[in-house]
Amino acid sequence: MPGSRVTNSMVTYDSGANQPEKPEAGFFSRYVFSTNHKTIGLQYLWLALFSVFLGMAMSLLMRIHLVWPGVHLPFLSTLNNTPDRYAALTTLHGSLMVFLVLTAAPQAGFGNYFLPLQIGAREMAFPTLNLLSFWVTVVSLIGMTAAFLIAPERGITVWILSVAIFCAASLLNALNFSVTTIEVRAKGMTLPRLPLTVWAWFINAILGMLIFSILLAACVCLLSDRLLSTHFFSPLNFLANQPPNVVANALPVLWRRLFWFFAQSEVYVAMLPCFGLTTHLISTFSRKPVWMERLVVLALCGVGLFGFCVWGEHMFSSGMNPFSPLVFSLLASSLGLPATILLISWLGTLWNARIQLNTSMLFALGFISLFLAGGLSGIFLARHDLASAAVSDDFITGHFHLVMGVAATFAILGALFFWFPKLFGRRLNEPLGKIHFWLTFAGVYSVFMPMHWLGLMTHSRVSSGRQLAAVVAAGSSLRVFITVATLLTVLAQGLFLINFLWSLFRGEKVAECNPWRATTLEWSVGSPTPADGFGASEPVVYRGAYEFSVPGVAEDFVPQHLAPEQVVKAR
Amino acid sequence: MPGTTATPDIELIIENTGGGGGGRPPAGGDDGGDDGDYGRHRKRAPSPRRYSTGIAIALVSILMFFMALSSAFIVLRRGSDVWVTVHLPRILWLNTCVLLGSSFTLETARRRLSLADLTGFRKLWLVTTSLGFLFVAGQLIAWRQLVAQGVYIASNQASSFFYIFTGAHAIHLLGGVAALLYVSFRKFEKANILLSHAAEITSYYWHFMDGLWIFLLALLYLGK
Repeated sequence: MPGSRVTNSMVTYDSGANQPEKPEAGFFSRYVFSTNHKTIGLQYLWLALFSVFLGMAMSLLMRIHLVWPGVHLPFLSTLNNTPDRYAALTTLHGSLMVFLVLTAAPQAGFGNYFLPLQIGAREMAFPTLNLLSFWVTVVSLIGMTAAFLIAPERGITVWILSVAIFCAASLLNALNFSVTTIEVRAKGMTLPRLPLTVWAWFINAILGMLIFSILLAACVCLLSDRLLSTHFFSPLNFLANQPPNVVANALPVLWRRLFWFFAQSEVYVAMLPCFGLTTHLISTFSRKPVWMERLVVLALCGVGLFGFCVWGEHMFSSGMNPFSPLVFSLLASSLGLPATILLISWLGTLWNARIQLNTSMLFALGFISLFLAGGLSGIFLARHDLASAAVSDDFITGHFHLVMGVAATFAILGALFFWFPKLFGRRLNEPLGKIHFWLTFAGVYSVFMPMHWLGLMTHSRVSSGRQLAAVVAAGSSLRVFITVATLLTVLAQGLFLINFLWSLFRGEKVAECNPWRATTLEWSVGSPTPADGFGASEPVVYRGAYEFSVPGVAEDFVPQHLAPEQVVKAR
Repeated sequence: MPGTTATPDIELIIENTGGGGGGRPPAGGDDGGDDGDYGRHRKRAPSPRRYSTGIAIALVSILMFFMALSSAFIVLRRGSDVWVTVHLPRILWLNTCVLLGSSFTLETARRRLSLADLTGFRKLWLVTTSLGFLFVAGQLIAWRQLVAQGVYIASNQASSFFYIFTGAHAIHLLGGVAALLYVSFRKFEKANILLSHAAEITSYYWHFMDGLWIFLLALLYLGK
């Protein structure tokens, strides 16, 4: 066997494994161009934190502008107060939140940090590719933000290019995740023993591999339309001799298909890791195994599979073959099945449990509540007759913010409170966290529930003038209410920021490896995670991920890495 | 691979009967273990399986990319009443033969390698690489012929699709050519992947590009 098989791409972990004590030299190789999965995971989390606050500021500007259009606002009135600016604001808010927060934080952020730790791997399968995908993501963030600041016509081209770049980054990331999960697991980490977080990341990576390619293809066509003046989507010159209705119907439908093919699945790309995180948190803090664990894995697969197929749901109002709405309606409704399984499993796990109601668990429970509330309004949208007739923008805005945006954010926050000791060796402040939770929880319901009502009111069929006036008045006071609630909810996030920054430097130190008495492998190493992860020892896995309250054992949990002879029996 | 990990594997199998067994054995259990690669005393090349798995998943993704483009082609082709036919340049058929030939020489090269005939392998591998370049050059000639006829990318939808399909395929194919060159010039004594594995993985990608081209050509020909 040749002595030193080290190449450039493998330098980091090979040398890391051989000299565990030696830190990497230099600022750049340590923080900027490190191929270490922990560094990259943290970088993704910082990126998401930056984006979420930027995106939140955008939403605040929009709400204020909706209610008090005359108010002088930065970004709107300073850059020509045109409707284009408002549309650009919406686009930037949406793209920051969906791509850089909801897609990046739970998957690339926590995933990069904890997936290798949870499966007992020393590194991701392709560390250099991992580094590349992070920096490509940064480029796309810069591009998206820059697109907002330059002239709209060119800005949109830059934005599309940034989205295409983000697709490429996500594809690299998804490739890395799936290969790591398939090939680099520790000894004994069989598929049934994988933590559900890993399952969710893995299924999500597979789903991402499929759908980001589609968006990439759509972006390529769109870019070639804009830069090379082809006619994939634009109904210009060469179809000018066609009757206008044919042109108007035929071409945008193609774009909408390609787009929704991606975008509907994107919802599940954001949600899948959150399902995994929530299940994990609920089991840990209920001190009970996940109820029907195998079925939950199947349900996660089901979410991925059905989520991939429901794209036509968005086409109800745009005219399709009369039979296809039925098919898509059934598919969209059939998403209810895996969702119900997950919900039943969560409730079954909580049933009769000794629940530890800390902030992390509160956020997990908040996720369930929001997912249920948002999911119920989704049933209305899955009915094609209702969706096309009775539902307007506000209803849909309320629906997807509740189920996708806010619910996912709750799962991310829950995970952050849970893993903070492992990330930084300190705890987040619990009382402050609880106050932040309750304020946010009340806040998001006050923002997004009235939005549903607004959506329904727009379409209420009132004939007489007096009733109409009453509806309009109620509508405008609702809008003011929503805006005030948004303002307060955004302010409450300041509490989180204070808690986060304070705990980062002054928080209660965690000395032990496993402060939550959890079972998975990341808790077998020190807090914060040492630079070389598992060190010189090879992690070996002996049991499933959720062995809580095992009868005949002294403690109420049995870690995955504990050899059977090491388990202390109860007297 | 030497059998240094045999004992842990046996322990593992015994352990498997205890907890939630049933799934497939842990990755690397049969080829010596990926995870053992970084251990202090057992430092060696990571298993090539991660590369073959990676390329398989990447191919699915690339397939999805071209399927999205193809379905756009089919949707627009069926929905359009003013479809302008683009006559495919004849040289495309020659290019197709070149590409098919390159797949053949690549397989022959790998057979040489398995017979430990390294010089024969190098020679045939070089032929494959040249054929790859020849194909790309042929595609460029096809583009030039179309341009000479006044058919540009923005002329009509059929021409747009022609250029997009051939262009995207050529870019992906150039990735394959890069892999071929990598295998030719890499010093595998120092690499963490064996020459035979690198050649095998490259061959997956190359044959896939081959099949993809046949599919795209058929689509363009039948849909013209």
